[in-house]
Amino acid sequence: MEIIESIRGFISTEICSGSVQKIDDADLLIENGIIDSVGIMLLLGFIEEKFAITIDGDELIPENFSTIATISTLVGKKIG
Amino acid sequence: MEFSLTEEQKSLRDAVIRFARQEIKHDLSLCDKEGRFPIESWKKCAEMQIMALPFAEEYGGCGSDFLTTVVVLQALAYGCKDAGLVHAVITQILCGIQINLFGSLEQKNQYLPMLCQGEKIFAQAITEPEAGSDALGAMRTLALKVDDGYVLNGTKVFISNGPIADVVIVFALTDPAARRLDGVSTFLIEKDNPGFEQCRPIEKMGLCTLQNGELVFRDCRVSPTALIGREGQGAIIFNESMEWERSLMPAAHLGTLERVLETCVGYARKRSAFGQPIGKFQAVANKIVDMKTVFELGRLILYKAASIKSQGRRAGMEASIAKLFISEGLKQSCLDAVQVHGGYGFTREYELERDLRDSVAATIYSGTSELQRSIISRLMGL
Repeated sequence: MEIIESIRGFISTEICSGSVQKIDDADLLIENGIIDSVGIMLLLGFIEEKFAITIDGDELIPENFSTIATISTLVGKKIG
Repeated sequence: MEFSLTEEQKSLRDAVIRFARQEIKHDLSLCDKEGRFPIESWKKCAEMQIMALPFAEEYGGCGSDFLTTVVVLQALAYGCKDAGLVHAVITQILCGIQINLFGSLEQKNQYLPMLCQGEKIFAQAITEPEAGSDALGAMRTLALKVDDGYVLNGTKVFISNGPIADVVIVFALTDPAARRLDGVSTFLIEKDNPGFEQCRPIEKMGLCTLQNGELVFRDCRVSPTALIGREGQGAIIFNESMEWERSLMPAAHLGTLERVLETCVGYARKRSAFGQPIGKFQAVANKIVDMKTVFELGRLILYKAASIKSQGRRAGMEASIAKLFISEGLKQSCLDAVQVHGGYGFTREYELERDLRDSVAATIYSGTSELQRSIISRLMGL
């Protein structure tokens, strides 16, 4: 729960700068333009530092960043 | 906080400077004038294993960390006056980094050894006639999925190493209707692939030994094994690649800047006017002091970016700042160097005019200075 809320909070405040009212777990982030290529850079920097993990090349696929839920699942797996 | 290089890094740097001064012997003035690629010097750089630096030994690489790679490339650009050749070498390394990070085991086994040995020349094709700074958003090259792979159609321009490349990493749209973040894919295409055409090199203002040109894909059919990473992963590969590129290209700029700075110091001490060395005049000294300031500060941010990346962490902000600050600083320093040298600076013989011409491109490729500012502002949350 803490992971998913951290990610939601970061996307809402840092990537969207509060311009999106509410982002649900299953909202499509890329498809809806919530995250773009710079947004991915920001998000990766955040999750790698916050959760002390490294996202490897084969994990850097759009599917893993499509929703807050999929990002959270990826982070959860990396934390172990 | 440690600001010094290791003994190994220092000795490698010294060896590369010696190598560049003694072994890179092509007639640069002539090659620059004729727009000719110095293939013999390329081969010597390969023998020196410069292209092999950051790659694992199992692929024929040296296994160096990223900071060491940066230090070596800075040394190469300091010792070698051919910025076009250095750019070509860096392009080769960048292609290898993409294959190493995202390629399959088969792709790594097939391509990395030949890349490390400089046996084959690599290029990466992103820019298009209508897609420069907005490389992904305005991309038109299509890779249509068919039963036995993909069919590419489109045109890429200004591709470094493009006209002489044996292997090209190509970015193309596999899902034009999707958002660009998941609609782009990356392919490895060899030069003899039917439907792939390499056009003649473009004549440029500077970096004349670097071969830049148009690549055309007309029903260019490739197998599914040509795909780097997964379908739709291209934009992420591009992003990652740019971060590496913006950490490597400034290393070359910094090496050139260091050489130009030393040339100016030497000249300002030796050349006299009104009864004293021109370096004693503030108007001249200030220009050289500004060069020194850019060099020292540029080195700090570049080594910071490289150290972060050596630790396996992201350095998007640092890399963009390094690219912006050092390339702009180099351009201004080269202009000042010509001015400090007066009439001599304007001659071909003194070679500063070539450094100046070459430096202009540094603020354009790998994302213009304007784009770097835009990225930095986004990363700052503005």
